[in-house]
Amino acid sequence: MIRIGNASGFYGDRLGAVREMLEGGDLDVLTGDYLAELTMLILGRDRMRDANLGYAKTFLRQMEDCLGLAVEGGVTIVANAGGLNPLGLAAAIEKVGVGAKIGVVTGDDLRADFPESLTANAYLGAWGIAECVRAGADVVVTGRVTDASLVVGPAAARFGWARDDWDALAGATVAGHVLECGTQATGGNYSSFTSIDADRPGFPIAEVHADGSSVITKHEGTGGAVTVDTVTAQLLYEIGDPAYLGPDVVSHFDTITLEPHERGARISGVRGSPPPDTLKVCLNSLGGFRNGTTFVLCGLDVEAKADLVRRQLETALGPDGLTWTLARTDRADADTEETASALLHVTIKTSDPKRAKAFSRTAIELALGSYPGFHVTAPPSDGTPFGVYRAAYVPRDRVEHQAVLPDGKVITV
Amino acid sequence: MRLPLGTIAGARSGDKGGDANLGVWVRTDEAYAWLAEELTAARLKELLPEAGEVVRYELPNLRALNFVLPGLLGDGVASSTRFDPQAKGLGEWLRSRHVDIPEALL
Repeated sequence: MIRIGNASGFYGDRLGAVREMLEGGDLDVLTGDYLAELTMLILGRDRMRDANLGYAKTFLRQMEDCLGLAVEGGVTIVANAGGLNPLGLAAAIEKVGVGAKIGVVTGDDLRADFPESLTANAYLGAWGIAECVRAGADVVVTGRVTDASLVVGPAAARFGWARDDWDALAGATVAGHVLECGTQATGGNYSSFTSIDADRPGFPIAEVHADGSSVITKHEGTGGAVTVDTVTAQLLYEIGDPAYLGPDVVSHFDTITLEPHERGARISGVRGSPPPDTLKVCLNSLGGFRNGTTFVLCGLDVEAKADLVRRQLETALGPDGLTWTLARTDRADADTEETASALLHVTIKTSDPKRAKAFSRTAIELALGSYPGFHVTAPPSDGTPFGVYRAAYVPRDRVEHQAVLPDGKVITV
Repeated sequence: MRLPLGTIAGARSGDKGGDANLGVWVRTDEAYAWLAEELTAARLKELLPEAGEVVRYELPNLRALNFVLPGLLGDGVASSTRFDPQAKGLGEWLRSRHVDIPEALL
Protein backbone atom coordinates (compact mmCIF):
# COMPACT_ATOMS: atom_id res chain seq x y z
CA MET A 1 0.00 0.00 0.00
CA ILE A 2 1.12 3.56 -0.73
CA ARG A 3 -0.34 6.43 1.25
CA ILE A 4 -0.81 9.49 -0.94
CA GLY A 5 -2.14 12.76 0.42
CA ASN A 6 -3.32 15.96 -1.22
CA ALA A 7 -2.70 19.48 0.07
CA SER A 8 -4.11 21.64 -2.72
CA GLY A 9 -7.11 21.58 -5.03
CA PHE A 10 -6.42 24.86 -6.82
CA TYR A 11 -4.02 27.81 -7.03
CA GLY A 12 -5.17 29.73 -3.97
CA ASP A 13 -6.10 26.81 -1.71
CA ARG A 14 -5.21 26.75 2.04
CA LEU A 15 -1.56 27.84 2.24
CA GLY A 16 -0.92 25.97 5.47
CA ALA A 17 -2.19 22.65 4.14
CA VAL A 18 1.24 21.29 3.18
CA ARG A 19 2.44 21.69 6.74
CA GLU A 20 -0.85 20.30 8.11
CA MET A 21 -0.53 17.20 5.95
CA LEU A 22 3.16 16.63 6.74
CA GLU A 23 2.68 17.07 10.49
CA GLY A 24 -0.73 15.42 10.75
CA GLY A 25 0.25 11.78 10.25
CA ASP A 26 2.03 9.28 8.02
CA LEU A 27 2.34 9.77 4.28
CA ASP A 28 4.50 8.38 1.49
CA VAL A 29 3.62 11.05 -1.04
CA LEU A 30 2.03 14.48 -0.82
CA THR A 31 0.43 15.85 -3.99
CA GLY A 32 -0.93 19.23 -4.91
CA ASP A 33 -3.06 20.35 -7.84
CA TYR A 34 -2.61 24.00 -8.78
CA LEU A 35 -3.88 24.11 -12.36
CA ALA A 36 -7.32 24.76 -13.72
CA GLU A 37 -8.22 26.05 -17.15
CA LEU A 38 -8.53 29.55 -15.69
CA THR A 39 -5.22 29.19 -13.83
CA MET A 40 -3.39 28.54 -17.09
CA LEU A 41 -4.69 31.90 -18.31
CA ILE A 42 -3.58 33.66 -15.10
CA LEU A 43 -0.14 32.08 -15.37
CA GLY A 44 -0.01 33.00 -19.06
CA ARG A 45 -0.50 36.63 -18.13
CA ASP A 46 2.19 36.34 -15.41
CA ARG A 47 4.55 34.95 -18.03
CA MET A 48 3.76 37.83 -20.39
CA ARG A 49 4.98 40.22 -17.69
CA ASP A 50 8.05 38.18 -16.69
CA ALA A 51 9.34 35.17 -18.60
CA ASN A 52 10.80 33.75 -15.36
CA LEU A 53 7.29 33.38 -13.90
CA GLY A 54 4.41 31.24 -15.09
CA TYR A 55 4.42 28.83 -12.14
CA ALA A 56 2.33 28.73 -8.95
CA LYS A 57 4.16 31.07 -6.61
CA THR A 58 2.31 29.87 -3.53
CA PHE A 59 3.81 26.40 -3.99
CA LEU A 60 7.30 27.91 -3.80
CA ARG A 61 6.34 29.57 -0.51
CA GLN A 62 5.05 26.24 0.76
CA MET A 63 8.35 24.59 -0.19
CA GLU A 64 10.35 27.35 1.51
CA ASP A 65 8.36 26.56 4.63
CA CYS A 66 8.11 22.77 4.44
CA LEU A 67 10.53 21.12 2.02
CA GLY A 68 13.01 20.32 4.80
CA LEU A 69 10.21 18.75 6.81
CA ALA A 70 9.17 16.61 3.84
CA VAL A 71 12.70 15.41 3.06
CA GLU A 72 13.30 14.61 6.73
CA GLY A 73 10.07 12.61 6.89
CA GLY A 74 10.73 10.78 3.63
CA VAL A 75 7.61 12.19 1.98
CA THR A 76 7.84 12.70 -1.78
CA ILE A 77 6.19 15.89 -3.00
CA VAL A 78 4.45 15.75 -6.39
CA ALA A 79 2.75 18.87 -7.76
CA ASN A 80 1.72 20.34 -11.09
CA ALA A 81 2.66 23.77 -9.71
CA GLY A 82 5.19 24.19 -12.53
CA GLY A 83 2.32 25.45 -14.66
CA LEU A 84 3.80 27.03 -17.76
CA ASN A 85 7.35 27.00 -16.42
CA PRO A 86 8.22 23.83 -14.49
CA LEU A 87 11.96 24.25 -15.08
CA GLY A 88 11.76 27.78 -13.67
CA LEU A 89 9.98 26.46 -10.60
CA ALA A 90 12.59 23.71 -10.17
CA ALA A 91 15.37 26.31 -10.31
CA ALA A 92 13.58 28.37 -7.66
CA ILE A 93 13.15 25.30 -5.41
CA GLU A 94 16.84 24.52 -5.83
CA LYS A 95 17.55 27.87 -4.18
CA VAL A 96 15.48 26.89 -1.14
CA GLY A 97 18.69 25.09 -0.28
CA VAL A 98 17.73 21.92 1.57
CA GLY A 99 19.46 19.82 -1.06
CA ALA A 100 16.31 18.07 -2.16
CA LYS A 101 16.50 15.92 -5.29
CA ILE A 102 14.21 17.53 -7.87
CA GLY A 103 12.57 15.86 -10.84
CA VAL A 104 10.76 17.81 -13.55
CA VAL A 105 8.19 16.75 -16.13
CA THR A 106 8.07 18.78 -19.33
CA GLY A 107 6.79 18.58 -22.89
CA ASP A 108 3.22 19.76 -22.42
CA ASP A 109 3.87 23.23 -23.86
CA LEU A 110 2.59 23.25 -27.46
CA ARG A 111 2.73 26.95 -28.20
CA ALA A 112 4.80 26.18 -31.31
CA ASP A 113 1.80 24.25 -32.69
CA PHE A 114 -0.77 26.85 -31.62
CA PRO A 115 1.02 30.18 -32.09
CA GLU A 116 -2.21 32.15 -31.92
CA SER A 117 -2.81 31.05 -28.32
CA LEU A 118 -1.48 32.65 -25.15
CA THR A 119 -1.19 29.19 -23.60
CA ALA A 120 -1.33 25.75 -25.26
CA ASN A 121 -0.70 22.75 -23.03
CA ALA A 122 -1.30 19.09 -23.66
CA TYR A 123 -2.61 17.06 -20.74
CA LEU A 124 0.25 14.65 -20.06
CA GLY A 125 -0.18 11.42 -18.14
CA ALA A 126 1.57 9.79 -15.20
CA TRP A 127 4.64 8.15 -16.70
CA GLY A 128 6.99 11.14 -16.50
CA ILE A 129 6.17 11.48 -12.80
CA ALA A 130 6.72 7.74 -12.35
CA GLU A 131 10.20 8.01 -13.89
CA CYS A 132 11.15 10.86 -11.56
CA VAL A 133 9.85 9.00 -8.49
CA ARG A 134 11.70 5.81 -9.52
CA ALA A 135 14.89 7.87 -9.85
CA GLY A 136 14.56 8.91 -6.21
CA ALA A 137 13.23 12.46 -6.54
CA ASP A 138 12.17 14.17 -3.29
CA VAL A 139 10.12 16.66 -5.27
CA VAL A 140 8.52 16.26 -8.70
CA VAL A 141 7.20 19.37 -10.38
CA THR A 142 5.26 19.23 -13.61
CA GLY A 143 3.47 21.42 -16.05
CA ARG A 144 0.06 20.41 -17.37
CA VAL A 145 -0.40 16.79 -16.41
CA THR A 146 -3.89 15.52 -15.68
CA ASP A 147 -4.80 16.09 -12.07
CA ALA A 148 -5.18 12.37 -11.42
CA SER A 149 -1.64 11.70 -12.73
CA LEU A 150 -0.25 13.18 -9.53
CA VAL A 151 -1.60 10.08 -7.78
CA VAL A 152 -1.23 7.55 -10.60
CA GLY A 153 2.48 8.34 -11.17
CA PRO A 154 3.77 7.58 -7.67
CA ALA A 155 1.50 4.50 -7.40
CA ALA A 156 2.68 3.17 -10.77
CA ALA A 157 6.31 3.67 -9.66
CA ARG A 158 5.73 1.90 -6.36
CA PHE A 159 3.94 -1.12 -7.78
CA GLY A 160 5.78 -1.37 -11.07
CA TRP A 161 2.61 -1.18 -13.13
CA ALA A 162 2.94 -1.71 -16.87
CA ARG A 163 1.49 0.65 -19.45
CA ASP A 164 -1.31 -1.83 -20.08
CA ASP A 165 -2.28 -2.58 -16.49
CA TRP A 166 -5.54 -0.88 -17.42
CA ASP A 167 -7.58 -1.81 -14.35
CA ALA A 168 -4.89 -0.78 -11.86
CA LEU A 169 -4.29 2.49 -13.72
CA ALA A 170 -8.03 3.16 -13.84
CA GLY A 171 -8.39 2.45 -10.11
CA ALA A 172 -5.60 4.87 -9.28
CA THR A 173 -7.06 7.43 -11.69
CA VAL A 174 -10.34 7.31 -9.80
CA ALA A 175 -8.46 7.76 -6.50
CA GLY A 176 -6.63 10.69 -8.09
CA HIS A 177 -9.91 12.19 -9.27
CA VAL A 178 -11.23 12.01 -5.71
CA LEU A 179 -8.11 13.74 -4.33
CA GLU A 180 -7.59 16.40 -6.96
CA CYS A 181 -9.99 18.93 -5.49
CA GLY A 182 -8.67 18.72 -1.95
CA THR A 183 -11.34 19.14 0.68
CA GLN A 184 -14.18 18.64 -1.79
CA ALA A 185 -13.66 14.93 -0.98
CA THR A 186 -13.75 15.42 2.77
CA GLY A 187 -16.96 17.34 3.30
CA GLY A 188 -16.15 20.67 1.67
CA ASN A 189 -18.88 22.10 -0.60
CA TYR A 190 -21.01 19.13 0.40
CA SER A 191 -24.81 19.08 0.01
CA SER A 192 -25.33 17.44 3.42
CA PHE A 193 -22.93 19.77 5.21
CA THR A 194 -25.35 20.16 8.10
CA SER A 195 -24.87 16.48 9.00
CA ILE A 196 -21.06 16.69 9.48
CA ASP A 197 -18.45 18.92 11.08
CA ALA A 198 -17.91 21.10 8.00
CA ASP A 199 -16.04 24.01 9.58
CA ARG A 200 -12.50 23.07 8.62
CA PRO A 201 -12.27 19.86 6.60
CA GLY A 202 -8.95 18.05 6.61
CA PHE A 203 -7.29 17.29 3.27
CA PRO A 204 -7.82 13.84 1.72
CA ILE A 205 -5.56 10.79 1.56
CA ALA A 206 -5.77 7.78 -0.77
CA GLU A 207 -4.22 4.53 0.39
CA VAL A 208 -3.66 2.92 -2.98
CA HIS A 209 -3.12 -0.84 -3.23
CA ALA A 210 -1.20 -2.86 -5.80
CA ASP A 211 -4.41 -3.70 -7.72
CA GLY A 212 -5.36 -0.01 -7.99
CA SER A 213 -8.08 -0.20 -5.35
CA SER A 214 -7.94 2.41 -2.62
CA VAL A 215 -9.21 3.60 0.72
CA ILE A 216 -10.03 7.30 0.83
CA THR A 217 -9.38 8.73 4.28
CA LYS A 218 -7.84 11.73 6.07
CA HIS A 219 -5.51 12.32 8.98
CA GLU A 220 -6.95 11.44 12.37
CA GLY A 221 -8.37 14.36 14.30
CA THR A 222 -8.96 16.60 11.28
CA GLY A 223 -12.35 18.13 10.51
CA GLY A 224 -14.82 17.22 7.81
CA ALA A 225 -15.76 13.64 6.98
CA VAL A 226 -14.91 10.93 4.48
CA THR A 227 -17.97 8.81 3.74
CA VAL A 228 -19.50 7.08 0.74
CA ASP A 229 -21.57 10.23 0.34
CA THR A 230 -18.71 12.79 0.41
CA VAL A 231 -16.69 10.65 -2.00
CA THR A 232 -19.67 10.20 -4.33
CA ALA A 233 -20.00 13.99 -4.48
CA GLN A 234 -16.41 14.34 -5.64
CA LEU A 235 -16.60 11.41 -8.06
CA LEU A 236 -19.35 13.30 -9.86
CA TYR A 237 -17.41 16.56 -10.06
CA GLU A 238 -16.40 17.77 -13.51
CA ILE A 239 -17.04 14.53 -15.34
CA GLY A 240 -18.89 13.79 -18.55
CA ASP A 241 -19.37 10.36 -20.06
CA PRO A 242 -18.79 7.57 -17.49
CA ALA A 243 -15.98 6.40 -19.80
CA TYR A 244 -13.59 9.00 -18.38
CA LEU A 245 -10.87 9.70 -20.92
CA GLY A 246 -7.29 10.20 -19.79
CA PRO A 247 -3.89 10.13 -21.45
CA ASP A 248 -2.92 6.77 -19.90
CA VAL A 249 -6.21 4.92 -19.58
CA VAL A 250 -9.96 5.23 -19.99
CA SER A 251 -11.48 4.80 -16.52
CA HIS A 252 -15.01 3.46 -16.45
CA PHE A 253 -16.80 5.31 -13.66
CA ASP A 254 -19.84 3.05 -14.02
CA THR A 255 -17.71 0.13 -12.77
CA ILE A 256 -16.64 1.77 -9.50
CA THR A 257 -17.59 -0.06 -6.33
CA LEU A 258 -17.74 2.39 -3.46
CA GLU A 259 -18.24 1.08 0.07
CA PRO A 260 -17.99 2.36 3.61
CA HIS A 261 -14.69 1.70 5.37
CA GLU A 262 -13.86 2.14 9.05
CA ARG A 263 -11.59 5.06 8.21
CA GLY A 264 -13.50 6.46 5.24
CA ALA A 265 -14.60 4.88 1.98
CA ARG A 266 -13.19 2.10 -0.17
CA ILE A 267 -12.98 2.20 -3.98
CA SER A 268 -12.54 -1.04 -5.92
CA GLY A 269 -13.54 -2.89 -9.07
CA VAL A 270 -12.70 -0.09 -11.48
CA ARG A 271 -12.22 -1.28 -15.05
CA GLY A 272 -9.82 0.42 -17.42
CA SER A 273 -9.37 0.28 -21.17
CA PRO A 274 -6.75 1.67 -23.58
CA PRO A 275 -6.66 5.46 -23.96
CA PRO A 276 -7.47 7.36 -27.15
CA ASP A 277 -4.58 7.95 -29.56
CA THR A 278 -4.89 11.71 -29.20
CA LEU A 279 -4.07 13.99 -26.29
CA LYS A 280 -6.31 16.84 -25.16
CA VAL A 281 -4.80 20.32 -25.32
CA CYS A 282 -5.93 23.26 -23.17
CA LEU A 283 -5.82 26.48 -25.21
CA ASN A 284 -6.30 29.95 -23.79
CA SER A 285 -6.24 33.06 -25.88
CA LEU A 286 -7.02 36.66 -25.05
CA GLY A 287 -10.61 37.28 -26.06
CA GLY A 288 -10.76 41.01 -25.43
CA PHE A 289 -11.60 43.21 -22.48
CA ARG A 290 -14.46 43.12 -20.06
CA ASN A 291 -16.00 45.35 -17.48
CA GLY A 292 -19.23 45.39 -15.57
CA THR A 293 -21.25 46.78 -12.75
CA THR A 294 -24.41 46.08 -10.80
CA PHE A 295 -27.11 48.71 -10.43
CA VAL A 296 -29.28 48.44 -7.33
CA LEU A 297 -32.96 49.09 -8.05
CA CYS A 298 -34.87 49.63 -4.82
CA GLY A 299 -38.59 49.70 -4.29
CA LEU A 300 -41.27 50.45 -6.88
CA ASP A 301 -41.16 50.38 -10.70
CA VAL A 302 -38.20 48.00 -10.89
CA GLU A 303 -38.72 47.08 -14.55
CA ALA A 304 -39.11 50.72 -15.59
CA LYS A 305 -36.01 51.69 -13.62
CA ALA A 306 -34.06 48.95 -15.37
CA ASP A 307 -35.37 50.11 -18.77
CA LEU A 308 -34.33 53.70 -18.09
CA VAL A 309 -30.75 53.01 -17.06
CA ARG A 310 -30.31 50.48 -19.82
CA ARG A 311 -31.54 52.96 -22.43
CA GLN A 312 -29.27 55.66 -21.02
CA LEU A 313 -26.16 53.50 -20.99
CA GLU A 314 -26.80 52.01 -24.43
CA THR A 315 -27.40 55.45 -25.94
CA ALA A 316 -24.24 56.89 -24.43
CA LEU A 317 -21.96 53.93 -25.11
CA GLY A 318 -23.64 52.00 -27.92
CA PRO A 319 -25.26 48.61 -27.28
CA ASP A 320 -22.51 46.41 -28.76
CA GLY A 321 -21.13 43.78 -26.39
CA LEU A 322 -23.42 44.62 -23.49
CA THR A 323 -25.17 41.81 -21.61
CA TRP A 324 -27.90 42.64 -19.11
CA THR A 325 -29.57 40.53 -16.45
CA LEU A 326 -32.17 41.72 -14.01
CA ALA A 327 -32.38 39.63 -10.84
CA ARG A 328 -35.68 40.23 -9.08
CA THR A 329 -34.29 39.78 -5.61
CA ASP A 330 -36.73 42.44 -4.38
CA ARG A 331 -39.86 41.76 -2.35
CA ALA A 332 -42.95 43.94 -2.09
CA ASP A 333 -43.44 45.86 1.16
CA ALA A 334 -40.07 44.63 2.47
CA ASP A 335 -38.90 45.43 5.99
CA THR A 336 -35.22 45.86 5.05
CA GLU A 337 -33.80 48.03 2.27
CA GLU A 338 -31.74 45.15 0.93
CA THR A 339 -34.71 42.84 0.50
CA ALA A 340 -36.61 45.69 -1.18
CA SER A 341 -33.90 45.83 -3.88
CA ALA A 342 -33.42 44.15 -7.26
CA LEU A 343 -30.03 43.83 -8.96
CA LEU A 344 -29.39 44.80 -12.56
CA HIS A 345 -26.10 43.32 -13.78
CA VAL A 346 -24.46 44.62 -16.91
CA THR A 347 -21.29 43.28 -18.51
CA ILE A 348 -19.41 44.61 -21.49
CA LYS A 349 -17.11 42.48 -23.63
CA THR A 350 -15.20 44.30 -26.32
CA SER A 351 -12.04 44.06 -28.36
CA ASP A 352 -11.33 47.73 -27.61
CA PRO A 353 -9.70 48.41 -24.20
CA LYS A 354 -10.69 52.08 -24.47
CA ARG A 355 -14.34 51.12 -24.75
CA ALA A 356 -14.04 48.85 -21.70
CA LYS A 357 -12.61 51.77 -19.77
CA ALA A 358 -15.18 54.26 -21.10
CA PHE A 359 -17.87 51.92 -19.74
CA SER A 360 -16.95 52.95 -16.18
CA ARG A 361 -17.07 56.65 -16.80
CA THR A 362 -20.31 56.40 -18.75
CA ALA A 363 -22.02 54.33 -16.05
CA ILE A 364 -20.95 56.65 -13.23
CA GLU A 365 -21.88 59.82 -15.14
CA LEU A 366 -25.49 58.66 -14.81
CA ALA A 367 -25.36 58.84 -11.02
CA LEU A 368 -27.39 62.04 -10.58
CA GLY A 369 -29.44 61.80 -13.74
CA SER A 370 -31.03 58.37 -13.83
CA TYR A 371 -33.61 56.36 -11.87
CA PRO A 372 -34.55 57.38 -8.32
CA GLY A 373 -32.34 55.70 -5.73
CA PHE A 374 -29.43 55.19 -8.19
CA HIS A 375 -26.50 53.36 -6.68
CA VAL A 376 -24.18 50.52 -7.62
CA THR A 377 -22.83 47.65 -5.50
CA ALA A 378 -19.23 48.55 -6.39
CA PRO A 379 -17.88 51.14 -8.80
CA PRO A 380 -16.76 49.62 -12.11
CA SER A 381 -13.02 49.23 -12.66
CA ASP A 382 -10.94 50.22 -15.69
CA GLY A 383 -11.78 46.89 -17.30
CA THR A 384 -9.68 43.75 -17.50
CA PRO A 385 -8.57 41.45 -20.31
CA PHE A 386 -10.49 38.18 -20.52
CA GLY A 387 -9.51 34.80 -21.87
CA VAL A 388 -11.27 32.41 -24.15
CA TYR A 389 -10.80 28.72 -23.44
CA ARG A 390 -10.87 26.04 -26.11
CA ALA A 391 -9.87 22.38 -26.17
CA ALA A 392 -7.97 20.83 -29.07
CA TYR A 393 -6.70 17.30 -29.71
CA VAL A 394 -3.32 16.30 -31.12
CA PRO A 395 -1.80 12.93 -32.04
CA ARG A 396 0.34 11.54 -29.21
CA ASP A 397 3.51 11.60 -31.30
CA ARG A 398 3.29 15.39 -31.60
CA VAL A 399 4.05 15.62 -27.88
CA GLU A 400 7.47 14.94 -26.40
CA HIS A 401 6.70 13.98 -22.81
CA GLN A 402 9.99 14.14 -20.89
CA ALA A 403 11.21 13.46 -17.37
CA VAL A 404 14.22 15.44 -16.20
CA LEU A 405 15.67 13.26 -13.45
CA PRO A 406 17.40 14.64 -10.34
CA ASP A 407 20.82 13.85 -11.86
CA GLY A 408 19.98 15.92 -14.94
CA LYS A 409 19.41 12.97 -17.23
CA VAL A 410 16.46 13.46 -19.59
CA ILE A 411 14.20 10.53 -20.42
CA THR A 412 11.56 10.67 -23.15
CA VAL A 413 8.55 8.86 -21.83
CA MET B 1 -45.18 14.87 -1.30
CA ARG B 2 -44.13 18.15 -2.86
CA LEU B 3 -40.68 18.89 -1.44
CA PRO B 4 -37.30 20.18 -2.58
CA LEU B 5 -35.39 17.51 -4.52
CA GLY B 6 -32.53 18.09 -2.07
CA THR B 7 -34.60 16.51 0.69
CA ILE B 8 -33.37 13.16 -0.61
CA ALA B 9 -30.70 14.00 -3.20
CA GLY B 10 -27.20 15.40 -3.06
CA ALA B 11 -25.66 17.29 -5.97
CA ARG B 12 -22.39 18.78 -7.13
CA SER B 13 -21.82 20.89 -10.21
CA GLY B 14 -18.90 22.50 -11.98
CA ASP B 15 -17.36 23.54 -15.27
CA LYS B 16 -15.32 22.06 -18.09
CA GLY B 17 -14.56 24.91 -20.42
CA GLY B 18 -17.87 26.16 -21.72
CA ASP B 19 -19.80 23.10 -20.54
CA ALA B 20 -21.34 22.64 -17.11
CA ASN B 21 -21.78 19.30 -15.40
CA LEU B 22 -24.22 18.46 -12.68
CA GLY B 23 -24.09 15.21 -10.70
CA VAL B 24 -27.08 14.15 -8.61
CA TRP B 25 -27.15 11.19 -6.28
CA VAL B 26 -29.36 9.49 -3.72
CA ARG B 27 -28.65 7.00 -0.97
CA THR B 28 -30.84 3.94 -1.53
CA ASP B 29 -31.63 1.69 -4.47
CA GLU B 30 -35.34 2.56 -4.18
CA ALA B 31 -34.55 6.26 -4.32
CA TYR B 32 -32.31 5.71 -7.34
CA ALA B 33 -35.02 3.81 -9.19
CA TRP B 34 -37.31 6.79 -8.62
CA LEU B 35 -34.64 9.37 -9.50
CA ALA B 36 -33.70 7.65 -12.76
CA GLU B 37 -37.38 7.59 -13.74
CA GLU B 38 -38.20 11.13 -12.61
CA LEU B 39 -35.15 13.14 -13.57
CA THR B 40 -35.01 12.75 -17.34
CA ALA B 41 -33.12 15.29 -19.42
CA ALA B 42 -36.44 16.91 -20.32
CA ARG B 43 -37.46 17.11 -16.66
CA LEU B 44 -34.11 18.68 -15.77
CA LYS B 45 -34.79 21.37 -18.33
CA GLU B 46 -38.17 22.03 -16.74
CA LEU B 47 -36.57 22.39 -13.34
CA LEU B 48 -33.65 24.48 -14.64
CA PRO B 49 -35.18 26.54 -17.45
CA GLU B 50 -31.82 28.23 -18.15
CA ALA B 51 -30.43 24.91 -19.38
CA GLY B 52 -30.09 24.54 -23.14
CA GLU B 53 -28.93 21.18 -24.42
CA VAL B 54 -28.84 18.47 -21.75
CA VAL B 55 -27.05 15.11 -21.96
CA ARG B 56 -27.80 12.55 -19.26
CA TYR B 57 -25.57 9.67 -18.12
CA GLU B 58 -26.54 6.97 -15.62
CA LEU B 59 -24.23 5.66 -12.90
CA PRO B 60 -26.38 3.11 -11.06
CA ASN B 61 -23.30 1.86 -9.18
CA LEU B 62 -23.10 5.26 -7.46
CA ARG B 63 -26.92 5.70 -7.42
CA ALA B 64 -26.19 8.80 -9.44
CA LEU B 65 -27.08 10.63 -12.63
CA ASN B 66 -24.64 12.94 -14.34
CA PHE B 67 -25.89 15.72 -16.58
CA VAL B 68 -23.71 17.62 -19.02
CA LEU B 69 -24.99 21.00 -20.19
CA PRO B 70 -22.92 21.84 -23.27
CA GLY B 71 -22.29 25.50 -23.92
CA LEU B 72 -24.06 26.82 -20.82
CA LEU B 73 -20.94 28.79 -19.87
CA GLY B 74 -20.11 30.20 -23.32
CA ASP B 75 -16.35 30.32 -23.87
CA GLY B 76 -15.46 29.32 -20.30
CA VAL B 77 -15.20 30.93 -16.89
CA ALA B 78 -13.00 33.88 -17.85
CA SER B 79 -15.29 34.92 -20.64
CA SER B 80 -18.75 33.93 -19.42
CA THR B 81 -21.18 36.65 -18.46
CA ARG B 82 -23.35 34.14 -16.63
CA PHE B 83 -24.24 34.94 -13.03
CA ASP B 84 -22.38 31.80 -11.88
CA PRO B 85 -19.69 31.39 -14.56
CA GLN B 86 -18.30 28.11 -13.18
CA ALA B 87 -21.70 26.54 -12.50
CA LYS B 88 -20.74 26.00 -8.87
CA GLY B 89 -24.26 26.70 -7.61
CA LEU B 90 -26.19 24.83 -10.30
CA GLY B 91 -26.48 21.66 -8.18
CA GLU B 92 -27.78 23.52 -5.17
CA TRP B 93 -30.29 25.33 -7.37
CA LEU B 94 -31.57 21.98 -8.61
CA ARG B 95 -31.80 20.64 -5.04
CA SER B 96 -33.97 23.60 -4.10
CA ARG B 97 -36.56 22.88 -6.82
CA HIS B 98 -39.79 21.30 -5.62
CA VAL B 99 -40.79 17.92 -7.00
CA ASP B 100 -43.26 15.20 -6.01
CA ILE B 101 -41.30 12.71 -3.92
CA PRO B 102 -42.96 9.40 -2.95
CA GLU B 103 -43.51 9.29 0.79
CA ALA B 104 -41.86 5.88 1.04
CA LEU B 105 -38.56 7.52 0.15
CA LEU B 106 -38.66 10.14 2.87
